[in-house]
Order: sequence, then C-alpha cells, then structure tokens
Amino acid sequence: MFSGKLRSALVIGGQGIRARKLRTFLSMVSLFLGVLAIVAVQAGSEIAERAMLTDVELQAGKDGTMMGYIPGEKGAPAIVESTLKGRADAVAMISSQAVIGEPGVRPINEGGMPFEYAGQRGDYNGSMTFCDASGVCHEQKAPEKKPDGQAIEVNMVALTGDIRRFKPFRPVSGSWLDFATAPSLAPRIVLNEEAAKGLDRYRVPGEMMIEGASHHVSPQIIGVVQDGSSTPRVYLRLDELRTWMPAAAETGSSDIGRFRGGSGGTQLEVYLQPGSADLQQLLKAKLVGAGLSQDQLHFNTVNSKERMESELRILRLIFLGMAFLVLLIGVAGILNVGLATVGERVEEFALRRAVGMSRMLLAGIVLAETLLTGLLTAALAIGAGAAGLQIALAMFGSRFPSLQGTAFPWEAGVAGVIAGLVAGVLGGLIPAVRAARIPIATVMRA
Amino acid sequence: MTQPQVTVAAPLLQLNGITKVLKGQEEPRTILSGVDLTVHSGQSVAILGRSGSGKSTLLSLIGLFDRADGGQYSLHGNDITRLPERRAAALRSAEFGFVFQRFFLLKHLTAAQNVAMALVNGQGWSARRKRRQQVMEALEQVGIAHLAKSRPSRLSGGEQQRVAIARALVRQPRIILADEPTGALDTETGNLVIEVLLNTTKRGCGLVLVTHDHDHARKMGRVLELRDGRFN
Repeated sequence: MFSGKLRSALVIGGQGIRARKLRTFLSMVSLFLGVLAIVAVQAGSEIAERAMLTDVELQAGKDGTMMGYIPGEKGAPAIVESTLKGRADAVAMISSQAVIGEPGVRPINEGGMPFEYAGQRGDYNGSMTFCDASGVCHEQKAPEKKPDGQAIEVNMVALTGDIRRFKPFRPVSGSWLDFATAPSLAPRIVLNEEAAKGLDRYRVPGEMMIEGASHHVSPQIIGVVQDGSSTPRVYLRLDELRTWMPAAAETGSSDIGRFRGGSGGTQLEVYLQPGSADLQQLLKAKLVGAGLSQDQLHFNTVNSKERMESELRILRLIFLGMAFLVLLIGVAGILNVGLATVGERVEEFALRRAVGMSRMLLAGIVLAETLLTGLLTAALAIGAGAAGLQIALAMFGSRFPSLQGTAFPWEAGVAGVIAGLVAGVLGGLIPAVRAARIPIATVMRA
Repeated sequence: MTQPQVTVAAPLLQLNGITKVLKGQEEPRTILSGVDLTVHSGQSVAILGRSGSGKSTLLSLIGLFDRADGGQYSLHGNDITRLPERRAAALRSAEFGFVFQRFFLLKHLTAAQNVAMALVNGQGWSARRKRRQQVMEALEQVGIAHLAKSRPSRLSGGEQQRVAIARALVRQPRIILADEPTGALDTETGNLVIEVLLNTTKRGCGLVLVTHDHDHARKMGRVLELRDGRFN
C-alpha cells in the first residue's frame, strides 16, 4: 500500500515537473545559489581544515601519534636506537647541526637560520652564558671567529626508520630514503625545501662537516621534500651516519648542562604508533636506568585536529549562517512558485481527489515535486562545486602545495543533499497543506 | 415442503431523508430537505431541476465529496453516512465513476495518461503493462482507442468528453455519476455521449445523470425532478 502511494506521488510529481519546466527551472535558479553557498562553505571549511591539518601534521605528526622528547645525554640516543631497532611501530629522529660547503669557514646562515635572515645575526664577540634546567649558569668564552665562506649550516636529522608514517612529508623531487637497503658509505641525504634553496642559491661545495665525525663526508643528495620547516634541514639514515661517526649518537654527552636546541645540541624525538604503550614503558625504563630522570622524559599524544576544529568551528558557523540565509531566499522562491502553482492547479487537485486520491497523498505529491526539485538542484550545485574545485585547483593549485591532490569532500556533498531536501520541505510544506485543503466539490461548481 | 429462499439484492445506493444545509456568513440555506433515492444495479436515473435546485449538491453527496447534515446513506446495504475521509477516498476510487460538464482533462497529459490518472491515485498499484491494458479497454469502450496518444488540445469536445468517460470507467465502477455531461456539447455529440453512458448500465452499472435536457432524461429508466430540495 505504502509503495503504491509513494510510486503514485513520484509518478505524478514527475509529471508535474515536466509539465511546468520553466517554473521548475526558475525555482531551481534561486535555490541553486543557496545550495551552492552551503556546498561551497562546507567544502571550503573541510578543505581549509585538511590543508591546515596537513601542514600541522608535517611538523607535529599525525593525529593519535605518541610523541616523546628525550634529552640527548647519558647515552640516550644509543638506547633509543637499540630499543627501536627492527620495529615498524616507532621511529626516532636524532637532530644535530651540520655544515655543508667549505670547511673552516663561517656559514652564510650561521646557527642554521632560514636564508631569508642570513647575514642579519651580527658579529657578537663577547662571552656567552648557558644555563641548565635547574638554573645553574656557566659562562663560556665565545668561539674563535671564523672567516666568511661558501657554506651553509643545516639541521641534520638522523632517522632510525621511515618517519613518513608519522609525518607525511610531501615529495618535491627525487626520492625518499630507502631503509630496506644496506647502508651506503656515502650517506644519502634528503633536503627540505629551505636547504635545497640554500644549496641552489649559494652553490656551496658538496662536503658535509658533522661535529664529532672523523672525516668530512661527501653525501649523495637523493631528493627534496616539503617538511613544513622554515629552517634548512637534511634527513639521513642513522646507520649511514654511524659509518662516519660511531659515537655520533652520543654527541650530546659533551653538552650536558646546556639548554637543548642551541647550536651543537643533540635532540631526540621518538614517534610511536597509537597503542604502543608497552614500547613507551620499555623505553622509559631503559632511559631511567641509564640515569635520566622521569621529569626529563616527555611523552604526549598528537591531537591537532581537535584543537584546530574548535578554532575553525566558529568561523564555519558564521559562514554557514550566511549560506543558510542565501538558502532561505531560495526557499522563498520555491514557496512563491509552489503557492502560485497550487492556485493554478485547484481543479486538477480537486479532480484527483474526486477519482480517489486522499488528502495526504495529494499533499505528498506537492511535497514530492518540491523535494525532487530540491534534490535535482542539489545534484547540480554539488556537480558545480566539484567542477569549480577542479578548475580552481588546476588554475591555482601550484601556488598552494597543501591543496594539491585535494578531492571534493564528501561532507560537502552530504551538506548539499541535506540543504536540497530541507529547502524542498520548507518550500513545499505550505503549498502541500493548501493543496490538501482544496474541497472536491470545486469540480462540481466549476 | 420447504419453500425456496428468495434473496433480494441490496440496492447499489439508497438515500433516506437526506438533508443538506449551506452554512455561510448569511442565513443558513436548506438545499436538500428529506431526499429519498434508491438505485439498483443496471438502473439509470435522470435528475432534472432548475439551476440552484440542489442537483449538483445531491450528486456530490452521493459521490462522497461532501457529507449530508441529516438522513442516511447506504451503499450495498452498508451505512456510509459518516465515513472518514480516507475510507471515502477509497470508496470513490472503487465504486464511483465521475463525469462532469467540463471535462477536466489535464492538458499536459495524453488521452491515455488522463484515463490512467484514475489508476494512479494511491489506491493500490498495478504494473505499467496492466495499467496500459486497462486504459486501452476503457478507451475502446467509448470508441476512441485510436486517440490514446493525442493530447486534449487536439481532440473535439465530444472526444474529450469520451476520454473523461473512459477515465470514469477504467476502474470498472459500480455507479456512474454524471453532472450535465452534455452541457458543453452539441446535440449530436451529446446524444453520442448519452449512448455511451447508457451502455454502461448494460454491464450492471448504476447511472445517475443530472441534466437540464429533457430529451436525454427521457432515455433514462427513471426521471426525477428536484424542486425545493426534494423530489416531486
């Protein structure tokens, strides 16, 4: 029985739309803009959120990742390396500074700063004071000033495994480090965009000076990635680095008592997959056993999306509110056309009731017409939104790398369909009630 | 020796003391006051009367378009005086066929689609092939099957009224209610339409015809004249 009513409503609704193509089209024009506004706002906010999240993920890591900061002292790098060896669920990043170019000269960007600020550091020749975490400070004589030369200073990041599982670096050119092959004597390095910019701009010799290494290293540059960092960085395999400096991982031992992050300091970051609590406990136990205190070990879970969502929510609500107003104008258009159409079709509706149609079904037919119109409009608006996005990406995608490969978000499609349905119901409800109230005797008096 | 039991079929419809009062902003006006009418299967009844005598009001009460204010209305012996709207709609679909003075054909539909309108009314659902067969049978009954694909604007007045009659017949109703079906037609075409309507009574249909035309009324089995809200 229900099937018969539904089919009747759809068949007659379809006939009504076909019979009044121009009116349906005019209803759709105003509604189209409203639904398109909803689709555009929803798609825009989803894409903006994803783009922002992708940029944040490059630096902070993917959501859910457990991240640990460990001081590079008391043999911590070696402990971390041995604990994580052969494990696919965790990767460590050991950072220190290196210089690429002429040996024995002052790098163009001394301290590893972005090249934009190179040469702006000044020439301070006085002594420097370093303080430890407990507030005890030591004065150190300023290092001997070196002559300026063709060299750049980079942040060298040695990896125990493929970090891209946790930080989705975007390839720019070349390839990424292959951890499955045997270590190479000439370390293979991948540059970030800033480091590549420095090498390209200053044409420095391909020789790398690493503090604590027995010899200067001639690396093989195999690729460039976008890592979200504004400072020059190079990534390489820890085992390839060890070939040249067996004690490289322990370089931090000479820096005890200094604030980490400064020139020459070794930093350790550990990335663990969600659910690796056992590994975290094991690592902590080993490090505490080696002499580090619990307070020095900081582990937290990356939760960028939630933080960003709360920031974006207000903005999204404001834009959705504006889009809803545009949609209401479209609804008013449907309502206007719907009421006019019911006025015109009084005899048809009375006749349909005379031949056995119930009031409810008659109202259902009018609603079915506006719902079909709303859905058709929604489909067109979603199609236009998706096409518009592809055109925009083709035209401007190269300027915004984080938008490359962006697909039309399904959430925007769902929002468009809901907007079309809501507009159909709001625009069709009053005409439907009016149609149902038409007395059948109208046909007798006509 | 027992006598054979004789069963008398219940009349198709029976009105007893039907009254209808129009209540508007002015004084209430009695349109029908105690109308009695019985129609059996295969009978045809013509109702005559001046304009405003209540003919169409009576027809709308019989066709369940409206409710009487008093009296009793039985269909096949069942009291249907106070029927909920949903059941009234189902009965209109199953029992009655309506023919109006204006044909009320939807101009955006073909003749066949106009006839099929009575089948696509939410009272059950039949497959498209079956619907098409029913529609063609109804159009054949009124002699215009060849015009099935024509739109109303391409049909003459007589052809349009025959499409309207086919729409009334397509559900094989038990009662045909015709409200001045020849009012907009010339004499010759009007006679043709009356013939078509009378043919339905041969298959057991009851026919109630409201008309001003005495010649057409005389062709019916019974002629009743409505005056001052009741039959003379």
